Amino acid sequence: MANTIVTNLALPFTGIFISLIVYLIGMWLTKISNGFFLFNPLLVGMVLGIVILAIWAKGTGSTTAAVYKKFYLPGGNMIFWFLNPATMAFAIPLYRVNDVFKKYWFDIIVIMFVGGFISLFLIQLVSKLFGLSAASTASMLPQAATTAVAMPIAAGVHGVPAVTAMACILNAVVIYALAEFLIKVLGLKKLSAVATGLSLGSAGHTVGSVKALSLGEVQGAMAAVAVVIVSLAMDILVPIYAHLFM
Amino acid sequence: MEKDKQPKDSNIYVQMGIFAAILFVSQLISDLFPKSFVVPTSLIAMILLYILLACHIVKLHQVAKFGDFMIGLIAFLFVPSGIQLAAHLDIMKKEGLQDIIVIIISTIILLVVIAYVGALVMGIHHKITGTKDED
Repeated sequence: MANTIVTNLALPFTGIFISLIVYLIGMWLTKISNGFFLFNPLLVGMVLGIVILAIWAKGTGSTTAAVYKKFYLPGGNMIFWFLNPATMAFAIPLYRVNDVFKKYWFDIIVIMFVGGFISLFLIQLVSKLFGLSAASTASMLPQAATTAVAMPIAAGVHGVPAVTAMACILNAVVIYALAEFLIKVLGLKKLSAVATGLSLGSAGHTVGSVKALSLGEVQGAMAAVAVVIVSLAMDILVPIYAHLFM
Repeated sequence: MEKDKQPKDSNIYVQMGIFAAILFVSQLISDLFPKSFVVPTSLIAMILLYILLACHIVKLHQVAKFGDFMIGLIAFLFVPSGIQLAAHLDIMKKEGLQDIIVIIISTIILLVVIAYVGALVMGIHHKITGTKDED
């Protein structure tokens, strides 16, 4: 009997169920707290999911990593696979703003590659300053790309994809919490609308896109462009950068 | 923004079929790249879909409904990527706090650098073409 339960818990059902529950709790917390920044559904989902697995491991005298692999991963992998079509779908918002993109495509590519390279340099510098290990530093580099693209890039430069995923999630949380303040302090409203949109889309992923849209149509359009182009830029820049400077 | 008079959305199975076909081709292309220069399937698929849309080979109404639906789900789809950290709690114990601080600073670095490099490049663009910043 106990064996059947264990076998069944190792089916995809468990991982899917845990993911849904923690995300729903996150959504509920966002709602009742009126959007308090630390109650971002994804952040809550991630922390709560890990806590559930840790408690499960304590209760069964196993390790969190083992419980994760055996019981969470089968379902987690199913959800994870659907990131492929979802990430691919970012081409659609890009195509919708194709008029603006075609007008400035060359500038956008220059901005993303030059800006991306400078950012990589500064991120590595800060990582060194805080004494991060080589693996963690490598995981920090591709965080501007969308999560599904950033993780394989991190793996390619000997980083830890899980840390990169956390970085992408926290990027969005930071932008959600600080965007208003940063926009004011940095004078982003007075800067070029193209530049502002691109920077919000790169630093804050989809959350940045929402913030950019609240500033104006061009900013919103540029954030949609940024998601695609920054992913491409990081895919090319990070391996080259890691090869040259790490 | 849309120029074409919104035709009816394609059948949802057709839409999923287009996504599946592009993903399959992207997977084959992704496999051609070496391990040291990974080009993820989803990145190739994203670019392929954009090219197909831009060349009017695939029409917006053939992919938009399913695509918008998937983008609407994306925050939830990231949950397993986050929980993945459960297998690497040793790293978090060792340098989790530093990692988080570096991530927060990195976010601000990305915002500042891209905004100001962007402003500079756009400034040069407008100087060369003699135009003003967009409307």
